[in-house]
Amino acid sequence: MAERPEDLNLPNAVITRIIKEALPDGVNVSKEARRAISQAASVFVLYATSCANNFAMKAKRKTLNAGDVMSAMEEMEFERFLQPLREALEAYKKGQKGKKEASEQKRKDKEKKSSSTDENDKSRDEEEDEHMDDEQ
Amino acid sequence: MAATAPVAPAESELDRSGAEDEPRSAEPEEDAGNGQTGPTAGAQQQQHRLAKLPLSRIKALMKADPDVSLASQESVFIIAKATELFVEMIAKDALVYAQQGKRKTLQRKDLDNAIEAIDEFAFLEGTLD
Repeated sequence: MAERPEDLNLPNAVITRIIKEALPDGVNVSKEARRAISQAASVFVLYATSCANNFAMKAKRKTLNAGDVMSAMEEMEFERFLQPLREALEAYKKGQKGKKEASEQKRKDKEKKSSSTDENDKSRDEEEDEHMDDEQ
Repeated sequence: MAATAPVAPAESELDRSGAEDEPRSAEPEEDAGNGQTGPTAGAQQQQHRLAKLPLSRIKALMKADPDVSLASQESVFIIAKATELFVEMIAKDALVYAQQGKRKTLQRKDLDNAIEAIDEFAFLEGTLD
């Protein structure tokens, strides 16, 4: 666990990759510059979180949500981020929905299988644990 | 929370060069999200197609704030995404200074110049080692 928030760094490889992809070919980045950007990114997270949390608290919510983050971006004068963030959020939500449906489907399939060997799923716990191995 | 803004085709101010849509090979380093097995890890792996930064690390940073109790998964994702955009932005803005100095290598002083000159980066003043 980190002692200070500033100690929680983001992975260097990822930061480096993001930087490289943003810059034209042939441009190099010194180690010090990379380190500074990584640090700046951590500070950005902390600042954005704090800002977003203010919006949540104003709305008397305990859970920080995506809308709070969007409001924070505006407040921080990063309006240019809003459009790409909205698009990313839509894609993310679709992905989450697909995953949820996929895992629910998996669960249903499992239940179908087990009900063909065991009459009643729920009573399995009360009977014996041996049946659990058969599932796999 | 419905997105009422219409999705703009193609253009965005930042040249993201479609990088976020490209499939990534497995993350190196200590990223905890990848390399696990089991149904829940699959979820984290898929998130990496949309976010490059590990959500677990972003969340840990967010939780470092004592005033933050809970954060929705979406909010963690959006902050991760915003951070990526921020890194792109600051790298490009710093590059301008390197180019002014006729250099092809971005140096720390280019970062400092960008932070000083650009309003959006004012929050960084005095925070970097």
